[in-house]
Amino acid sequence: MSKLRDLVIYLCLVVALVLMILPLPEWVQIYRPNFVTLVLIYWSMALPKRVGLWFAFFTGIILDTSQGTLLGQHTLALIIVVFINLNFYQRIRVLELPQQAIYVFVLLLINQVVIAWVEGIMGRPTPLLAFFGAPFIGMLIWPWVFVVLRDIRRKAIL
Amino acid sequence: MKTLLQAHATLHALFLIGICIALMVVDHRFQHLEVVRSNISLALSPLRYIVSLPVTAGDWVSDWFTSHTELLDENEALKAEGRILNARLQKLEILVEENARLRNLLGSSRKIADDVIVAELLSVNQNPYRQLIEINKGSGDGVEIGHAVIDDFGIMGQVIHVNPQSATTILISDPEHAVPVQFVRSGTRSVAFGRGTTNQLELRYLPATADIMIDDDLVTSGLGGRFPADYPVAKVTAIVEDRVHGFVTVFAEPKARLDSSREVLVIKPR
Repeated sequence: MSKLRDLVIYLCLVVALVLMILPLPEWVQIYRPNFVTLVLIYWSMALPKRVGLWFAFFTGIILDTSQGTLLGQHTLALIIVVFINLNFYQRIRVLELPQQAIYVFVLLLINQVVIAWVEGIMGRPTPLLAFFGAPFIGMLIWPWVFVVLRDIRRKAIL
Repeated sequence: MKTLLQAHATLHALFLIGICIALMVVDHRFQHLEVVRSNISLALSPLRYIVSLPVTAGDWVSDWFTSHTELLDENEALKAEGRILNARLQKLEILVEENARLRNLLGSSRKIADDVIVAELLSVNQNPYRQLIEINKGSGDGVEIGHAVIDDFGIMGQVIHVNPQSATTILISDPEHAVPVQFVRSGTRSVAFGRGTTNQLELRYLPATADIMIDDDLVTSGLGGRFPADYPVAKVTAIVEDRVHGFVTVFAEPKARLDSSREVLVIKPR
């Protein structure tokens, strides 16, 4: 039974991954929020015992492969985000959605800093708009991500 | 107990962060992780097909609804084009034969035709810092790392990762890519660097005295061994003089439709 429930988490991540690969026009590209990070933030907040650091690690490796980035780049960002989340989730879970969204914005910015930092080391500076654009859109859609995933979690009785 | 658990989690996180940094260094410097990458890519290939499904379905539907008269018109136009092309081809064949004969006379071993593999675009890499595309032919079809990829207008790029059923291609417009080129008119050799946008290449540090004009055509020079010679690459759009250092920087627009071609050819060097 627990395997079947885990399947729901995997499915959510697969959908997030498809949203990350989906081809978009070039000018929309930089505003694409990191869906995988958003979904992982939700699950590690809702089920911190099941969705932990190793989960973040393997998700990150898959994300890196599909994005063609260095193996470990998104992984590092996800691990740091999930680690922070695991320390704060009890306080964040009880907040109102808009307040949560601001917290998520900070997490997405940290995610972005790590990725931009690795890109920078390899000599590819990140444009300012790309840096703040995606986390900002991520913050705006957080309430919807939260509500959708919460309903899925309740339906699946996780 | 709680503090112990938390300390445990911190150690755990530090351990994983260490692994990540090690992975990144190894991936950046060496080729060892190529196997891991291609295996995960293979497992993810169904996702890529799902993503390209709407486009494929859209093409199919629009094909289905193309009207009969339109098809007739198109057929007529294609026939006319075919006749013209055939006429040109006859001339070309004579030239190719003549060329081969002359080359034989000269004792030159340069090849005239190359083997090609027809491939289709699977997906465009969404990483804004890179210009990578995924094509649907891989090592199973004979594609290897370093093979040149072209469309019907010119050079698109070269293969950098190969999976059994697909391959990743770096476009000539990627900031980390450079292609050795030659000006058709003057014969000047140079190297065209990508700039991260699909409509511009940059040729740096050309001598101020070089014979270059706007609209000059650039072809591959064949130097460097990666790209076969004499394939069209770009057309000069701007020439910027650096009077202080006595150099000229040339900007050129790629001939290949880097952002819109769906069918590509992979060239296998013989």
